[in-house]
Amino acid sequence: MAAIELEGLTKDYGEVLAADDLTFSVDHGEIFGYLGPNGAGKTTTIRLLLGFISPTAGSATLLGRDVRDRRALIEAKRRIGYLSDEPGFDEQATGAEILDLHASIKGDTRREELLESFDPPLERRVREYSRGNVQKLGIVSTFMHDPDLVILDEPTSGLDPLMKQRFADFLRSEQERGVTVFFSSHILSEVRRLCDRIGIIRNGRLVTVEPIETLLTRSGKVVRVASATPIPVERLEIDGVHDLETGTPKRANETVPDGEFIECAFTFTGDINTLLAQLQDYELMDVSIEEAPLEDVFLRFYGGE
Amino acid sequence: MLEFFRYDARKRVKGSLYLSIGMALLAAVVIWVFPSFRDTFEEDELLEAYPEAMLQLFDVQTMATLEGFLAFELYVFGWTILLGLYVAYSAAGVIADDIDRGRMDTLLAMPVSRGRLLAEKFAALCVPIVTVNVLVLPVVLGGSHLIDESLPVADVVAVHALSIPYLFACGGIGILCSVVFDRSAIAQRVALGGTFGLFLLESLLENTDYEAIGAVAPMRYFDPNEILLEGSYDLVGAGGLVAMTVGLVLISQIWFTRTDL
Repeated sequence: MAAIELEGLTKDYGEVLAADDLTFSVDHGEIFGYLGPNGAGKTTTIRLLLGFISPTAGSATLLGRDVRDRRALIEAKRRIGYLSDEPGFDEQATGAEILDLHASIKGDTRREELLESFDPPLERRVREYSRGNVQKLGIVSTFMHDPDLVILDEPTSGLDPLMKQRFADFLRSEQERGVTVFFSSHILSEVRRLCDRIGIIRNGRLVTVEPIETLLTRSGKVVRVASATPIPVERLEIDGVHDLETGTPKRANETVPDGEFIECAFTFTGDINTLLAQLQDYELMDVSIEEAPLEDVFLRFYGGE
Repeated sequence: MLEFFRYDARKRVKGSLYLSIGMALLAAVVIWVFPSFRDTFEEDELLEAYPEAMLQLFDVQTMATLEGFLAFELYVFGWTILLGLYVAYSAAGVIADDIDRGRMDTLLAMPVSRGRLLAEKFAALCVPIVTVNVLVLPVVLGGSHLIDESLPVADVVAVHALSIPYLFACGGIGILCSVVFDRSAIAQRVALGGTFGLFLLESLLENTDYEAIGAVAPMRYFDPNEILLEGSYDLVGAGGLVAMTVGLVLISQIWFTRTDL
């Protein structure tokens, strides 16, 4: 039995199909990334799974319990941690009071240990918290009862780079302890670093579910090259070059023959070594190879709409 | 069990103390001005100056005795109306506020049913309801002693005790609004309007052919005049208020359990 299973899960609001016939599963001990642009239906999927909204069709299970069965879902929640995309806590309460309430309901075997890594100012009231501190409090409340499955909705929003790194390391160590992690994000690089498999959702529909390696090769890089000497365009007529744009900025004492360029930008999905070999005879001023923006990945592989 | 009740109850203590101080001040002022009213006007001379509709609305029986004066100025006005509205308003924020401020998802991610969450949060309204009654009661008794008026202690205790189920019923109206309307500002406005509307309905339909309609209003079952002037306690009415409260909470639970948040 998988940790999470969706079978044709659908939420039809009449005007909007927020989740459209979603079918996929998340294995025990896996870090599963749920990726999609804002408004794609990530949060709707999570809220369906946790029973905050009811599906209009289809079904789903969390840790083997049917999410449509209220009692069964409450049982499952004893072993589930959930971090909302905007964790809402009683602003009048202190962080310690919030954690005490959570502890009284679900236990707090790991509270102290977690507070060593994620340390919101517990004696202060939540209304004085920065976004990052609210997120830290959320992380502690999500993991304090040592859940088997955690569902995280955009967990790194609001965290500074250092905390993001700490959180990524933490998730990996949780995975080693056997925890299943389901987390949504709209940031491809973040999902890439962490996840075993990725599900991509757009406009409420699941576009694909695939292992990270497949996505890595398919998603491509944005490459920009600036050269001191002209490069013939045919050097870039290799596999994996898409949307090539070349340019020749006006500089003094430079003449660039037709069919050659000194600056270019393109999307590249091929082998990076092949590309570099093609350029090794030229005196380059700058090369940048960056991750393609998520939107471009969608447009390239799944077609525009 | 009762974790949410304890949490919410603790959060309500401070506000309840302020509320009690306010109501105690109202009680003190009412008792303080009574002697000058009594001495200035013969019998119910003042009452005759009031428009008939006003007397009916507030169910004013007499202002010549401290009991009658308190029944009108403090209990009908302060308890039936002000506190009734306060409790309805507070209850209307119980669920809607958490949804409005994005706290409900975090609460319901815990292993707790929506019905239990609602019931425990509703029950925490006992803090303001009981506190205000317990703290104002000695002020009323002590105040009357200071102006050398004697009040029937049992009746004063009874009016406070019987106001408790009445106030819970007002809370029931509020909690229903809280689950029906997802924005707390709207839930609270409807709760205020609805509760005051029921008060008007009950008062104005009294002694008309439509009096029976007033039976839906909690105000029908809590009558400070009857308790203080006649010493009669409507225990059946109090039972009705308890039933009304339970009914409203049950409907709210079912509604809340079945709604998409």
